Amino acid sequence: MSTITLTSSDGVDIAVERAVAERSVLIKNMLEDLGDSGEAIPIPNVNEAVLKKVIEWCDHHKNDPPSASDDDDNRRKTTDIDEWDQKFMQVDQEMLFEVILAANYLDIKALLDVGCKTVANMIKGKSPEEIRKTFNIQNDFTPEEEDQIRRENEWAEE
Amino acid sequence: MPNGKKGTVPAKPRRDVLASLRMASLEEISRASLPAEIVSSILDYLGPADLIRAARSCKLLHEMAYDDTRWVQLLKRIGCWDESNARKHSEKVYGTVAEFDVVEEQNILEKENGVIPKIAVDGVPSSGVDAISDGFHKIELGKAAAQLEPLENEASDPDLVVLKQASSIRGEARQEYGKIHAALSPLYDDITKSGPSTENLVFTKYKDPQFQAQMLSQLQAFSNSDMTTGWEWRVHRLESAISMFETAALNEFRQGYETDDIDELMRKYAHILYSLNGGQSALELFIHHNHLMTRKSELGTLADCIDGVTGRIKVQHTQAFFTRFSVAYNEEVTIMNRAFPSELEVALPFMEKIGQDVLFPFLTAIFDELHRTNKESYLTAVSVTFIQCMNLSETLLPIRDSGSNFDQYLDTVVTKLYEPHIELYLAEELDFFRRTSEVTIDDWDRQLSEQAASTESFLMSNVNRQADKRDFLTSFKKVIMMPVNIFPSFSGTKTNEDAKSDSDTNGTSTPKNLHRFSTIASPAPLPMEEAPKTELAAKALIMKSKMEGIRSLFSIEIALSLVHSAKSSLERAAQFVRLGGEYGKAAKQQCEAIFVALLGILGHRHVIIGFNKAVDHLSNYRPREQDERDQSGVEPLVTFLELVNVGDLILQMVDVFYEQELISTHLTDRSDFLDPAVKEKKKFEQLLDEQVAAGLNKGIDVLMEEVDYILATRQLATDFNPEISSDPHRQTMDVGLSEAAAAVVDVVSSHTQMLVGSTDKSTLDVFNQEVGLRLFTALCKHLKRQRISVEGSLKLISDMNHYFKFVQTLKNNELLLYFKAFRELAQIYLIDPSDAKELATLIADADRFQGIWRVEEVYEFAERRADWYQVKRDVERAMYGIGCSVM
Repeated sequence: MSTITLTSSDGVDIAVERAVAERSVLIKNMLEDLGDSGEAIPIPNVNEAVLKKVIEWCDHHKNDPPSASDDDDNRRKTTDIDEWDQKFMQVDQEMLFEVILAANYLDIKALLDVGCKTVANMIKGKSPEEIRKTFNIQNDFTPEEEDQIRRENEWAEE
Repeated sequence: MPNGKKGTVPAKPRRDVLASLRMASLEEISRASLPAEIVSSILDYLGPADLIRAARSCKLLHEMAYDDTRWVQLLKRIGCWDESNARKHSEKVYGTVAEFDVVEEQNILEKENGVIPKIAVDGVPSSGVDAISDGFHKIELGKAAAQLEPLENEASDPDLVVLKQASSIRGEARQEYGKIHAALSPLYDDITKSGPSTENLVFTKYKDPQFQAQMLSQLQAFSNSDMTTGWEWRVHRLESAISMFETAALNEFRQGYETDDIDELMRKYAHILYSLNGGQSALELFIHHNHLMTRKSELGTLADCIDGVTGRIKVQHTQAFFTRFSVAYNEEVTIMNRAFPSELEVALPFMEKIGQDVLFPFLTAIFDELHRTNKESYLTAVSVTFIQCMNLSETLLPIRDSGSNFDQYLDTVVTKLYEPHIELYLAEELDFFRRTSEVTIDDWDRQLSEQAASTESFLMSNVNRQADKRDFLTSFKKVIMMPVNIFPSFSGTKTNEDAKSDSDTNGTSTPKNLHRFSTIASPAPLPMEEAPKTELAAKALIMKSKMEGIRSLFSIEIALSLVHSAKSSLERAAQFVRLGGEYGKAAKQQCEAIFVALLGILGHRHVIIGFNKAVDHLSNYRPREQDERDQSGVEPLVTFLELVNVGDLILQMVDVFYEQELISTHLTDRSDFLDPAVKEKKKFEQLLDEQVAAGLNKGIDVLMEEVDYILATRQLATDFNPEISSDPHRQTMDVGLSEAAAAVVDVVSSHTQMLVGSTDKSTLDVFNQEVGLRLFTALCKHLKRQRISVEGSLKLISDMNHYFKFVQTLKNNELLLYFKAFRELAQIYLIDPSDAKELATLIADADRFQGIWRVEEVYEFAERRADWYQVKRDVERAMYGIGCSVM
């Protein structure tokens, strides 16, 4: 069982089982293209804390079967998240976003999906104002515009 | 380090997007922000209501949430997005596809530049594209909302057909979805929240079950777009509500069927169930509880259709079964046509089910029973019922919606019916044919060996019965060579079996054979048919034993019966060819296999063995060892030649069979030289030809031995040299034939004539040529043994003329030259000894003998002159000049 070393953006080396690291398509391709030189692989966009978090997820999911093609439009996209992942995602919002960004960068589709679902669940059932608050978004609509959108979509009101 | 570079490159564009997000929020955010594509995929997980709320929070989210593809996706899931309609619409609005792409591109460019599409109400004049993507239909929405109240006039409620009316227009997908959502969401939420009950809004709002069904069907489609957490539960609730409704409707439907209330109750609920979910459940119920199924025992039973005593199938009873079946079926079809909506596909499932449940068990029972008890009957049953099934299509009423596909449906059903049986059947058919054929041949072989034990085999013993042979031989030849007399006697026994096809075979083959054989034997009435006199009775007796003789080789009767059983097998199997597809192909192949088997058994096991035996006898035949000589011919050769005729007859029979059964029914393609049947037939013909050739080769040997024998024994020394005779009563100048010459010509010509018309022309030519040449050599040899006087030369000349005339009948010009030369040669004996010079000229005249002999050879012949030693000097002097004489 070979291990490889990843170097986080803040210069910390982390040893990872190769199979775990290969959950990341980016790392997997890199290893396939360049071969395992034994040198540490720099992950310049991810800091130590986030990288560790990502590795934790990869380790837990290392035996997952490769996901079926997600490009299928007819597949029902659900927001269901399994229990372990739900717990895993119980982090502060900044960490959540970092994890999502890291997953995106490292090309770990399943983790990215879990992250997106978590965020989607945070939006769910909230009013526009609450959404703004949660994600720290400033309302850039004029009151007229806001009213217009509301009227356009009366059907969506409960 | 390349790794590092690789890592930084994809990050760049994202920063740009991030920048736009920051710009949008206009706030210095310390925490990480998400790039647009991630935000977009987060929105993918939101339900429509959440999506709209998110759209109201800021402009970026608004743009993303309003993205038309998102809503098109939803419409697609519901199943009311028609891509081709959308395309048509956009082409109408934007022009051709190419132009539309340009517009789209511009649109995308605009968005990438961070320009948020303007909202129509903000007063800024907007471009056409924007107007459409942001257009909204307040009035329609308002109307839809008003209609949420219970309606008096349900039928005109647009909500009932909201899915059907949804239009597929790019840029307006969100509005369309809004309409659907407004109409269906309250009903959907009601069911999912309160669970299935009769109190559901959908049931209270609409009273007519027809509308309830329509609505439920729409809700089912709508539920496909529900993707947020807990959808499984909600969909499940909706489904149980639907199935509750379905069960109730089905009950009504069934009641209708049972009380024969076809036009009211049944029809109504069939339509309701159809609009609910395609009506499959009603159809299933109808099919499963069909009267035809429950009463299937009334159609006929197994015991009716099989004859208990003989174990044979009773075809009339199976036919009756099918007739009763078609009557019952037609009744059900009328009900279906009245009750079911015309769009519903009833024909195929109904027919399939009927086939499976009514016909299949019945047929299987029959087949199984027969397969166990009576193989032949089994084969007949499979084929006959198959034909009867196919004929059903004429009596069955077409189901309304099936139209021209009806026959196709029926074929499918029948195919399914026979699928499990067909393989066994085809294998069984071939096996049956092989077995019966082999039994026939074995039987015959056994009889033969029994016969051989009791009476000495004809071929070896015939020479002992020499008396009167010449007489009945000719009669026998006639019997053998007259197919007219043979065919009807066999076809009579076969008529029961296969009357129609039999007459076909005979009808075509008989005249053909007759034609061929009429060149040899005139179809004169046989002596056997005359009043039985003692002499004829005796003849008949011996003829019979002659027949036995040829029977010991092979029997045309056996061949005929084999061909007939092959024919019946083939016709049964050929029925299945019209099934087409894989099974049709299998049936076709099996037909060919049967034909190949026929050739194998008939050819290798029967004819060829017979030929082998004949050739054996022929080669073992030693004429000189026989004490008594036959006057007319070499017996084994005669037998063999007759065999060739019979073999040819069989070959023709096979040929006719092939034409009739395989070619004319399109079972096989004549021009396909790779086809096993064609190949096998060619092989058979070749084999037969080879055998004939081999036999003829042997036959020539034997014939020539006979000729030599005749020449050696019958040619009297006095024939050509009467001077030495001591007979005082001798007539001078006998110009008649010598006895030996007449006998030789008789023997040879009788044999060559027997072959005419019965073998291949080229074989015959080769045979004739060989016979002629060998005869020529034999005569040369013979001549060199004779001593010929001038007086005897006349006889020789007439002998030679006789040979020449015979050779003329062979119609071979090359041969004729040889015998012409012979005729010329005879002249040298005619010249008076005093004319030595003349003789010398004759000998030296090579042209005269067509170059067949060299001068030396002619000289050798000249030596055979009785007075050679008197003339030799003169001749040599004339030939080689004075010099020689001096010496």
